[in-house]
Amino acid sequence: MPAGVFKERYSQLMAHLRYPIHWAGLVAGLALLLALPLAGSYAMSLAIDAAIFFVAAVGLAVTTGLAGQISLAQGALLGVGAYTVAKTLEFLAAHGGVPEGSALLLIPAAGLVAAAVGLLVGLPSFKLKGYYLAMASIAAQAVLMYLFQRVIDPNQGVTVPDKAMTLGGLYFGGGGAALYYLTIGVAAVMALVAANIGRSSIGRAFKAVRDNDVSASIVGIDVAKAKALAFAVGAFYAGVAGALYALYNISFGWDAFGLDTSIELLAIVLVGGASRIIWGPLLGVLLLHTGWSLLDDVVSGLPGVGLIGGADTVKYLVFGLLVAGFVVGEPDGLVGVLRRVKEYFRLWPFSY
Amino acid sequence: MVDSAALAVITFQSTVIGLVFAALGLGFNIVYRVSKSINLAHPAIVLLAVYVTLVASSYLASHGLASLGFALGTLVAAVVGFATGVAMEITIARPLRGRPPVALIAATLGAYYILKGVAKAVARDMWTTASYRLPGISISLGPVVVDATDIAAIVLAGGTLAALIVLHRFTRLGVAMRAVAEDPYGASAYGLPVKTLTMLSWGLAGLAGALAGVALASKTGVEPSIDLYVLEALAASLLAGLDSVAGIVVGGLALGFVRQMSNYFLMSWLPGFGDAAAFILMLLVLLVKPYGLFGTERIERV
Repeated sequence: MPAGVFKERYSQLMAHLRYPIHWAGLVAGLALLLALPLAGSYAMSLAIDAAIFFVAAVGLAVTTGLAGQISLAQGALLGVGAYTVAKTLEFLAAHGGVPEGSALLLIPAAGLVAAAVGLLVGLPSFKLKGYYLAMASIAAQAVLMYLFQRVIDPNQGVTVPDKAMTLGGLYFGGGGAALYYLTIGVAAVMALVAANIGRSSIGRAFKAVRDNDVSASIVGIDVAKAKALAFAVGAFYAGVAGALYALYNISFGWDAFGLDTSIELLAIVLVGGASRIIWGPLLGVLLLHTGWSLLDDVVSGLPGVGLIGGADTVKYLVFGLLVAGFVVGEPDGLVGVLRRVKEYFRLWPFSY
Repeated sequence: MVDSAALAVITFQSTVIGLVFAALGLGFNIVYRVSKSINLAHPAIVLLAVYVTLVASSYLASHGLASLGFALGTLVAAVVGFATGVAMEITIARPLRGRPPVALIAATLGAYYILKGVAKAVARDMWTTASYRLPGISISLGPVVVDATDIAAIVLAGGTLAALIVLHRFTRLGVAMRAVAEDPYGASAYGLPVKTLTMLSWGLAGLAGALAGVALASKTGVEPSIDLYVLEALAASLLAGLDSVAGIVVGGLALGFVRQMSNYFLMSWLPGFGDAAAFILMLLVLLVKPYGLFGTERIERV
């Protein structure tokens, strides 16, 4: 990385890929992602799972990191997306059959439905902020969960029909290669969009509202509109992630969309680093979600784990220490740690 | 329509549950007063205390102290609750003083995970549904039958509420704690040990949570998801106003009645609506009167 700034045009300064190392990283990353299916179905399903949570976490990073609106309802919004797909297909099956590949068309629809619900969830933000807003989102999460349990899915279990996930001979369900490329593609596009939101006038409005909403309204930003939009965008991401979740799991119930999931998503965003809306969620998902999936079996096998109540105990303790430790000790999260490592090597071997 | 005997039973049960909710919510309010933050780890303190009581009482029962098991177990839980509150103040609240709300929310969520893990490690093979061993007494007051679970809940929740409200209102220590809550800089200028008093407040909140948790668990039974009730108690805190200590009794009773009545009267149309009723109440309070019935309205200056 060069020591100075040698940019001559504004567009060079604003480009996403500014240095040769960025291009190298992009090529290497793309090659790795495209070649991953060769590593077997376990690696693929881990990657799909990670990509789904990544999309939901990026949405939360827009709501919480960019616009400063704390939301503990992202898990339920994931459920809204998943149930939109499953319930629409159920309705179609009962009224004249499911068209081939219709589940894929329902992915953006799930995002839109979740965005509409997200607007409702975000309504209290017009009046409240900080702790009060967090509590309002916990309440919204609980009310949505009640609706899932008692109204939408009282039998605890819906299934996406196979025909809806088949298009042109390719089967986009379960942990297969077709769904893998679809999920990775969707995640990449949504990440790129999120990265550009931060650079647009909307993103600047979000940041102004986050830093101080009263000052933002004084300089002419429509604070209510910015807050509503922040919740809608975050919920749209959750809805799309939920639709992908439905495709990936095929059969699912409401237990995956509880407060635990919301807390986990917020933890992912905060441990990863809420200041960077792509890198923070990515690192957070890899550490807290995928990292845990990988370590779960290892930890269960350790001697003595049975004595303290199994792998879940270790999970709670490690999660808690990570979240509390990062918030107290390193508010910028993993991104902040990496930034310091990067700064160190920028000056290496002539650091002070 | 509803006959008067059933109504009497429902009213009694609502009152008991309401008292328990008030005691559960008390911890949120005490912490909010001194640290101006919601302690989202409070549900896990309750969870921990509930299982500590279970483990301690069964340990004592296996050593021939079955009759004292529950009482001593509750005592152990109270000590654990107090210590947890103090530890949280030192490790989380103190370093995060003056940081934005999201930091404290996240840190207490981290503490929530840790305490849940500790509770699971303490419970080990008892991490299931269970119930405390209480003497099989019951008193009939007309149609209402009061059994040992009701008595335990009333004594523990009512006692906790009364003791802490009296402490806050009428003792020198309470006056000092109120002074610290109102204006920490002013209080320290008058020579009050602000750090110690803040720590003590967190400890008392943990203590209240532990005793209220045992009251709740003797009523509903011990279960790993008992911490969700404590989130419902947040509605009671909000209704009372987060910085009001005595108002929590009104908030808790209101929540108890809303919950039980909607469970009873809406049973055939909306089963289990009581669980959601608390959160709908919470949303309504937040939208209509965010500072609650007895809370002080904060005026924001830029």
